[in-house]
Amino acid sequence: MNSAAASPVAHYREVFSASALRQSGSAHLREAAFARFSELGFPGPREESWKYTSLRRLEARRFAYADRDPARQAAPSLPAALAPARLVLINGFLRADLSETDTLPAGIRISATPTDPDSDGRLLRVPSGGGTERFAALNAALCPEPLLIQVAANVASDAPLHIVMATVGDSPLMSHPRLALRLASGSSLRVILHHVGNDDAEHFINPFIDVEVAESARLDLYRLQDTGARSFHIERCDATVAADGRFMLRDAQLGGSLARLDVNVALQGSGAETEITGLFLADGSRHFDTHLQVDHRAVNAHSLQDYRGIAANRGRAVFNSKVIVHPGAQKSVARQSSRNLLLTPGAEIDTKPELEIHADDVQCSHGATTGQLDPAAMFYLRSRGLSIAEARSALTRAFTGAVMSRMDHAGLAALVRDRLNARLVNLLESGT
Amino acid sequence: MLSIRDLHVQIGARKILKGLNLEVQAGEVHAIMGPNGSGKSTLASVLAGRDGYEVTQGSATYLGGDLLSLEPEERARSGVFLAFQYPVEIPGVNNAYLLKAALNATRKQRGEAEVDAFEFLTLIREKMKLMQMDESFLNRGVNEGFSGGEKKRNEILQMAVLEPKLALLDETDSGLDIDALRVVATGVNSLRSPERAIVMVTHYQRLLDYIEPDYVHVLADGRILRTGDRTLALELERRGYDWVKQEATAA
Repeated sequence: MNSAAASPVAHYREVFSASALRQSGSAHLREAAFARFSELGFPGPREESWKYTSLRRLEARRFAYADRDPARQAAPSLPAALAPARLVLINGFLRADLSETDTLPAGIRISATPTDPDSDGRLLRVPSGGGTERFAALNAALCPEPLLIQVAANVASDAPLHIVMATVGDSPLMSHPRLALRLASGSSLRVILHHVGNDDAEHFINPFIDVEVAESARLDLYRLQDTGARSFHIERCDATVAADGRFMLRDAQLGGSLARLDVNVALQGSGAETEITGLFLADGSRHFDTHLQVDHRAVNAHSLQDYRGIAANRGRAVFNSKVIVHPGAQKSVARQSSRNLLLTPGAEIDTKPELEIHADDVQCSHGATTGQLDPAAMFYLRSRGLSIAEARSALTRAFTGAVMSRMDHAGLAALVRDRLNARLVNLLESGT
Repeated sequence: MLSIRDLHVQIGARKILKGLNLEVQAGEVHAIMGPNGSGKSTLASVLAGRDGYEVTQGSATYLGGDLLSLEPEERARSGVFLAFQYPVEIPGVNNAYLLKAALNATRKQRGEAEVDAFEFLTLIREKMKLMQMDESFLNRGVNEGFSGGEKKRNEILQMAVLEPKLALLDETDSGLDIDALRVVATGVNSLRSPERAIVMVTHYQRLLDYIEPDYVHVLADGRILRTGDRTLALELERRGYDWVKQEATAA
């Protein structure tokens, strides 16, 4: 049944046509974004960046658009606060009644409206290129209230801001949260981006995170993707970093049934720096796909991409990290590392580091490994009385140690460890 | 405590142990000596439950039960301890974690409560002092970057903490200088007790100057060819192993 009306894009067109966003002040931006989504459509298997990840299951689903229907607005059970300042988005809508921002310093401005307050289209922009451009476009068309956080020049906030993005509902919903973080020169901000959702419905979560770090500013973004076990999660984060600015992303990809994360960082000014580090655990029949790209566009910029991947059972993971050193970006230092662990025989991880260098005075290194737990270490621990589950869990924790130590927020790191351990213990007890 | 009868073990198609018999009672210290490749380390590994060894015949009974049917961790919890010839380096798993997890696994088996942080530290400090180890070892990865001597001391430290009923020492003296050997021997001797048996596998009699065995066995060609007391080790040192083999063949 390939009739036009049944095609996946047509379903989203119906949703878009019915939405009130087309009547808002940003209607023209929404229309243009939707047109771009229609033009690109869903990726086919021949598209390089979707080579190992099929979206046919996602295409086949018909998700309802989450709106402000009061029946859907009951407060769900939310994760414990990880910081005094908190913003809660439910199905893409900011819930002021569940949020707390009084503790933030003056100079941090937060707004959420369906219309671009700058009316220059920047807030609803569609980033160009990459396998997830289509989804960022869909997000621009359908995000109900882009959340904009602006930090004024030289304002520093050490206590993090905990942003909870919850997708909850009894039936399959789509949610398109958008977060723009704009740090003016010399400012700093720490943000914990925390995705959660219910396990008993298949939702489609499509966030877009738009980051601008000005001269000498610093953003530490901690991400815990712990959404419902049956959900589809496709997230894109694009960042530009000006001279001497820093963008640090600490990631833990744990939730969902199919999850994709694209991170694109452009180091625009001299001395700009980025670190993208994290881990993922694809157990059960989860499928995770991570695509990182760092563009060195200025001299003396530094980047690090360092991930630990774990797969088990019928879990599959794809990891692609890319560095492009553009002409003239001399004295670039780029390091890439992807280490992967297959806990059980049926699991699979495809990893591919890529390096494209158009300058001659650079230091670049990359490495990728995929292996299993060391049997000698397993026997050693068991010979001291540890069960197979305890031994595997200890060695798996050791495997993630280097990236966990970079997740320098104690509360979040403890939560990630707990979630990871709970899953590992389950997996090991179910007798893989 | 341990009764090994007619034990045959092979690795792949290669037969290593060919009918080994050994009786060990509580309170005894046994030394098993023999030339390289005689099967000494195989014996220790099979008793601890290492993968890759196939028992084709015979039995090993420990405290009245079938030792060979137990998983390695079950053996450990019931009081069998193997001090490794080559202790494994495990970066990222710290020594304190391992010691505590191992101790609690054993205590659980005995029906005892888990140790609290204070009890644990008190116990560890006492044992580390005995092994002349600095407390900084506790927060390092298991054997990570340890010298050969430190690794062996760490093995005996674990043994002192776990207080096994049956301790198997696999070439614990190899790679040790004389000072380290003394420390290791002091640790082992402190564990001699009427309830505990110790089986040491060694190539040289040097270790036996420091830990005096009650019995010395010569293992060659996969069997124990001769058993004697301390003086047998001295005779082996003087005359080598060949005469034992020749006498066995003649008999």
